[in-house]
Amino acid sequence: MLDRRAPATSTLQSVPLVRIDALNKWFGALHVLKNIDLTLRPGARVVVCGPSGSGKSTLIRCINGLERFQKGTIEVEGSSLGRSDRDAAMARRLTGMVFQSFNLFPHLTVLANCTLALRRVLLKSAHEAEEIAMRHLTAVHIPEKARAYPAELSGGQQQRAAIARALCLDPRIMLFDEPTSALDPEMIKEVLDVMIALAKTGVTMVCVTHEMGFAREVADEIVFMDQGRIVEHTSSTDFFDRAAHPRARLFLDTILSH
Amino acid sequence: MGFDFGFALSTIPIIIGAIGATLLATVLSCLGASALGFTFEMIRRGGGAPGLAVRFLIDFIRSTPVLAWLYFLYFVMPVYGIRLGAMTVGIVGLSLYYSGYLAEVFKAGIDAIPKGQQEAARALSLTRRDTVIFVIAPQMLRNIAAPLGNYVVSILKATPYLAILAVPEMLGRAFDIASETYRYAEPLTVAGVLFLALALIVSYGVKRMEKLLLASGRR
Repeated sequence: MLDRRAPATSTLQSVPLVRIDALNKWFGALHVLKNIDLTLRPGARVVVCGPSGSGKSTLIRCINGLERFQKGTIEVEGSSLGRSDRDAAMARRLTGMVFQSFNLFPHLTVLANCTLALRRVLLKSAHEAEEIAMRHLTAVHIPEKARAYPAELSGGQQQRAAIARALCLDPRIMLFDEPTSALDPEMIKEVLDVMIALAKTGVTMVCVTHEMGFAREVADEIVFMDQGRIVEHTSSTDFFDRAAHPRARLFLDTILSH
Repeated sequence: MGFDFGFALSTIPIIIGAIGATLLATVLSCLGASALGFTFEMIRRGGGAPGLAVRFLIDFIRSTPVLAWLYFLYFVMPVYGIRLGAMTVGIVGLSLYYSGYLAEVFKAGIDAIPKGQQEAARALSLTRRDTVIFVIAPQMLRNIAAPLGNYVVSILKATPYLAILAVPEMLGRAFDIASETYRYAEPLTVAGVLFLALALIVSYGVKRMEKLLLASGRR
């Protein structure tokens, strides 16, 4: 049997990293994702936006198997993310996730938050795990907080620690679920700056956010969702200058007038 | 017949002589009840037929008197060829009985952990087992230190039940002295004071542990 997963090199740039076909999801009777088709090429920086309840978070939570779906297919690097836990585990290994509420482990130091999966999943030695963790904590500018507990950090520092934790597993795709929505305004910038720096490393990013300034600066593609559908999927310049769909226009007018 | 202080003092060494049995029964029953209760809660969380069976078992345990369990284990099980020593029956009985209650405590402790913690663990590809050991259990312990301590004291205070199986624990020993000397006030008072002292020590220990757990990073 040949290994059908594309190698993580640049030789197969044309192979999509994530391919979503006719994805449908229901929460009980509520149809939250309706016939979603979406293809992500390696290195894409995608911002998913839209009014609340439009299914943005649910969509990216499907990509790493945190949510099950009822119809359609999701392929991550060629391996199908079906309904079984095993497939989801496969996809999860390739994705890092950053949550709105950080979800750091409160009983562990920042360093231990970062090394836990390195030790238990990648089976690194304690020394090697700490080295990798410190490298990422330095990249998000909080190496001095390594021995602190999450509660001793500001919200912005916690979110940066969470980004470092996700990066430790060297993911191919970083998923951000409203990473700045729970932050005080003065802390939003420090998190966005880290994400902008991350974007320059070439990692594939999918970010649900209302930060349109960030979207304009970093995203090369915008996915606009409304009521469980993707109503617009264009380059970011096209989206901001001439969004075609009236719902997207209205959203932009509302959000940019603030 | 007034309270004879000198006689009371003379019973102290005899009753303290039984403190080993009391402590052994308490410690092993606590460990047994915790291990069993946690296992029950994990199976219950797993759902399905095993979850349903455990749910029923926990309700069954909580709806029956502890004495019934001890009598049953001691007098009925030998009929089926399972003959256990009095101390073993006592520990197994108390473990079983309190496991039902501790399962509820564990459940509350786990329910209080935000859902995002499990999601973060899943997003980091931790196995279910690692998630329980490294993420859920430590936070659960922090949430339940106080109620868990209460059950340690409860189990300590339940050890006199073992006197009916002639386990030589403190209250049983005190009653033996009373039966022999026809003086009840002194030995029973001494036993009561000793239980009080043990309970206070346990409570203090639990408070210290709670503080330590909470000190290691609050939410």
